[in-house]
Amino acid sequence: MEHWNNGLIKKTEMENRSNGNLGMGRLTHRSIIPSFRGLKLEEVIMKWNIPSLKELEDVLWRCTACGTCKEAYEYGPPSVSSPICPAGEEFSFEGFLSSRGKIAFARGILSGDLKWNDALIDAIYKCNVCGGCQSQCELDHKPFIPEIIEAMRRKIVADGVGPMPKQKVIAQSLSSYDNPYQGPRRVRLDWTRPFKKQGKPIKNILEEPASILYYVGCTGGYNVPVRVVPQATASIFHKLGLDFGILGESEICCGSTAMRLGDVEAFKRVAESNLELFRKLHDEKGLKTIVTSCAGCYRAFMKDYPMAEEYGRMMEGIRVIHTSQFLYDLYMTGQLKFAESLPWKVTYHDPCHAGRHLTKFIIDKEGTQLWAGAYVKLEDKDCLYDIPRQLLKAIPGIDLREMRRIKANSYCCGGGGGVMTGYNDWAARNAGIRIQEGMETGADHMVSICPFCHYNLNQGAQGTGSKMKLFDLTELIDKVLPEKAS
Amino acid sequence: MKAKKEIKKGKAVKAVRTDKKERILKELKSIVGEKNATTDQHILYAYSYDMSFVTPKLPDYVVIVHTVEEVQRILKFANKEKIPVVPYTSGTNIGGLCIPERGGMILDFKKMNKIIKLDPEALYAVIEPGVSHGQLAEALYKYNLRFGWPVGPPSASVASCAICHGIGHMNARYGLNSQEITSMEVVLPTGELVRVGSCAINPDAWHSCLPMPQMDGLFKGWLGSTGIVTKLGIAVHHIPPILKIFTVSCDHVDDMYSYMLNLSNYEICDDLTAVSWWLSQVPIPYPYKPKPDDAPEWFSYATTFSFTEKEKEARTEIWEKVVDEEKKKGTSIQVTHYPEEALKARTQLPSQIVGSTKNYCKMAGGGISWPGTFTPANRWAPIYKEWKKIMIGHNLSPSVRMSMYRGVHYGMLRAMTPFNKQSAKETENARQAIVECLKVDLDNGGMPYKPPVDFAMEINKRAHPGYLMLMKRLKKFLDPNDIMNPGKLGI
Ligand SMILES: Cc1cc2nc3c(=O)[nH]c(=O)nc-3n(C[C@H](O)[C@H](O)[C@H](O)COP(=O)(O)OP(=O)(O)OC[C@H]3O[C@@H](n4cnc5c(N)ncnc54)[C@H](O)[C@@H]3O)c2cc1C
Ligand code: SF4
Ligand code: SF4
Repeated sequence: MEHWNNGLIKKTEMENRSNGNLGMGRLTHRSIIPSFRGLKLEEVIMKWNIPSLKELEDVLWRCTACGTCKEAYEYGPPSVSSPICPAGEEFSFEGFLSSRGKIAFARGILSGDLKWNDALIDAIYKCNVCGGCQSQCELDHKPFIPEIIEAMRRKIVADGVGPMPKQKVIAQSLSSYDNPYQGPRRVRLDWTRPFKKQGKPIKNILEEPASILYYVGCTGGYNVPVRVVPQATASIFHKLGLDFGILGESEICCGSTAMRLGDVEAFKRVAESNLELFRKLHDEKGLKTIVTSCAGCYRAFMKDYPMAEEYGRMMEGIRVIHTSQFLYDLYMTGQLKFAESLPWKVTYHDPCHAGRHLTKFIIDKEGTQLWAGAYVKLEDKDCLYDIPRQLLKAIPGIDLREMRRIKANSYCCGGGGGVMTGYNDWAARNAGIRIQEGMETGADHMVSICPFCHYNLNQGAQGTGSKMKLFDLTELIDKVLPEKAS
Repeated sequence: MKAKKEIKKGKAVKAVRTDKKERILKELKSIVGEKNATTDQHILYAYSYDMSFVTPKLPDYVVIVHTVEEVQRILKFANKEKIPVVPYTSGTNIGGLCIPERGGMILDFKKMNKIIKLDPEALYAVIEPGVSHGQLAEALYKYNLRFGWPVGPPSASVASCAICHGIGHMNARYGLNSQEITSMEVVLPTGELVRVGSCAINPDAWHSCLPMPQMDGLFKGWLGSTGIVTKLGIAVHHIPPILKIFTVSCDHVDDMYSYMLNLSNYEICDDLTAVSWWLSQVPIPYPYKPKPDDAPEWFSYATTFSFTEKEKEARTEIWEKVVDEEKKKGTSIQVTHYPEEALKARTQLPSQIVGSTKNYCKMAGGGISWPGTFTPANRWAPIYKEWKKIMIGHNLSPSVRMSMYRGVHYGMLRAMTPFNKQSAKETENARQAIVECLKVDLDNGGMPYKPPVDFAMEINKRAHPGYLMLMKRLKKFLDPNDIMNPGKLGI
């Protein structure tokens, strides 16, 4: 065995980094994290079914260029019609606008009519991969729309021409720090300081068994204004007396950001380590439930990780759940009771990753119902649309006001898909549009369940000079939950 | 077989020299701003094709305009430089009408999307070209009003549809969308701003194109080749609260014609439409599949809206009388149940179900075109019989619609023809079938609407020489350098 530094990273790698060798000698796929504080991982070679752009070619020819994806339209009556594509709002030209445009790029790339150049690559990254366009489309390629966009990005990365310069930092950071924020490992735990101070330390699941793993996610850990999210979550868990643990400094990124940017190798590297770790934690530390308060991590665990053929085996006996669903279940069984009243007028923002991205599309693979490959229907029971709303409404005093664009037609905050890193000005401007929409409801504050939206929408509010603040649902719950739950 | 890869430059022009292109782009940017004009290949590519069989062609520039002044300056410049200008709102016309035949500039109006005026008392609205059907529907609903909605994509432009003689789904009551136009503001190809209709006399009056000479005709049905409409007045209507849809089916197209003719005499319908079995399927079968022997070949839905129950009852009484009469004649007309989703598709307007192309293209994939015509009603049956042979001969479903318009007994006869656009062979197969059908229709007195160039050629072959001479003269007068959507009318 080689030298290991706190059970996480090869010392040689560590040294490389301290020499300022950032991103050089990128970690190979399996070279990372073979053991977590004595937990030895299996090193399973995983097979991933992640489609290439070429493999999606037949699918993307199903698009008719009808442009229905350009607007969110609901018949009603009365009917409602609104812009749905942040990229289209900002950059206007067809191509930027909705899936019609992205599919045009994909066709051009595959036919050879479009060759890589800076402007094309830039245009492909100027998309939140929010899926707003996907919600409107009705044809057989509907289930694959975000996949088509990300497959173009995967090709960009594979061809060595992307992602965008600012986004490359993410890839480097992932490879150097296992998080996209270039944050040293020890910083990951900074959010827990208040708990230590209060004499309520949070268990490290690698050291002590726990049935619940609270997977914090990099944004909650490193993004200072967003640390309130894990803090509120852990506070609630403490108040409820739950047996939970965190991975502490040993937590690594879920890989969502890498996947959204098309860096599939970086994604696989962390995803495989995580899957193996979860398996071990289940077998050796009693892990049964992974709770995450990050919509991005949740989306990755629910939609991206299952693309590994080994997913079923690795996750057997482990449930992944978003904090909102977890708390809702406790609420429904009477374990979560609100003591105080919160007389706030709020509106709710559906994050893409915890909302429409979790839609299940039923496809007639064998051609027994319609024809082979036909999109049959969708199921949205996994989309966290109603659960956060019901929890909000359960808080005494809360006056919930809906925005125009909600649920499947929610307007993306503008932060996702690598945009917050690649194009932060645009991300904040777009968040300003959403904040404005929130203000039109008469609400004072906006609530959501995603640390990414949390950060970006607060940036947007600042940018527009609005007094509206974005709160995580857990922050509100923490406010009204008594210290000792009954 | 994969679709042909090459994207043509407009046929008649050579590629624009790079230095010239840069100079022109600079000028365009100086008019509309840095962000709103481009020559980026991937953006040009996104404007190079639509859903139809029309061969993709690249523009040289794409320009997004925000104001009338910008439009004027762009046209003055384009006219001076003789750069083709193709107006574009959403590109969903199903006829390649925004595909630049000769390169040049796509002028995209999506950001000119203000509803300038909505007068719920006088019952008209004034809109910019980028206003979508969805957007207008929402604004009108606030006053319980509606427009003569087509069933196109909700994101498509109201104005573009209206000026191209768009067909609404309330044609039997309100007439074509172009008959709803009440006034216009237009930028001529030479850059001058003109107004036609009442707004020409009083800038705030947008209620009527009559009784003055109908100069709005200079810009209606010309497919954006005579000027750019920057404001459009349109009539809007109260939504009667009671919807009643009468549905019948029959085995023979002649029986359906007889029923529609009879019923339309009473003028009780908002829409009187019949569809062949293939078009009643969601989606249209592709390739052709025979109709089950026990299924009727034709279905009709007659949509009626009434303000009171009594009005509805009176309409019902008339409809029952017509059905009785048709049965007594020995026709195969039967009162029938029409599938729920298909009905919704035609009555929940603007229609997301139809607009999304779900019921047309979902099975075929990617492509759709049509022989879409206005045809004398008494020719529908014989033409349908011919079309059926042609379509089946090409292994395509004869998904035909007949709709009776207001007034004269004529109306839409069209075969919605989806195809697999990924395959050049299947695309060409559809094109050939459609053009063949079109010729049959033209020879029977029909007229294609929103015609692709292939159709325009066929029209012109048959046109009275005086018609062609007048059309050319008007075009020359309005657009001396032939910059506006050149080539589209086949002249
Ligand atoms: C599934 C489906 C169903 C449809 N159903 C119907 C239907 O029921 N009835 C119907 O009529 N149509 C129908 N259409 C066709 C089309 O949707 C409508 O005509 C639509 O309103 C066109 O709007 P657009 O924004 O796509 O126009 P575009 O395709 O962008 O433009 C149409 C034409 O108008 C010209 N033009 C655009 N802007 C201007 C301007 N400012 N000044 C002058 N010329 C201009 C363009 O050059 C072009 O020739 C359907 C289309 C689809 C895909
Ligand atoms: S992606 Fe779907 S909705 Fe958008 S243009 Fe294509 S077919 Fe129409
Ligand atoms: S995913 Fe979102 S940002 Fe990207 S094209 Fe679709 S609607 Fe626009």
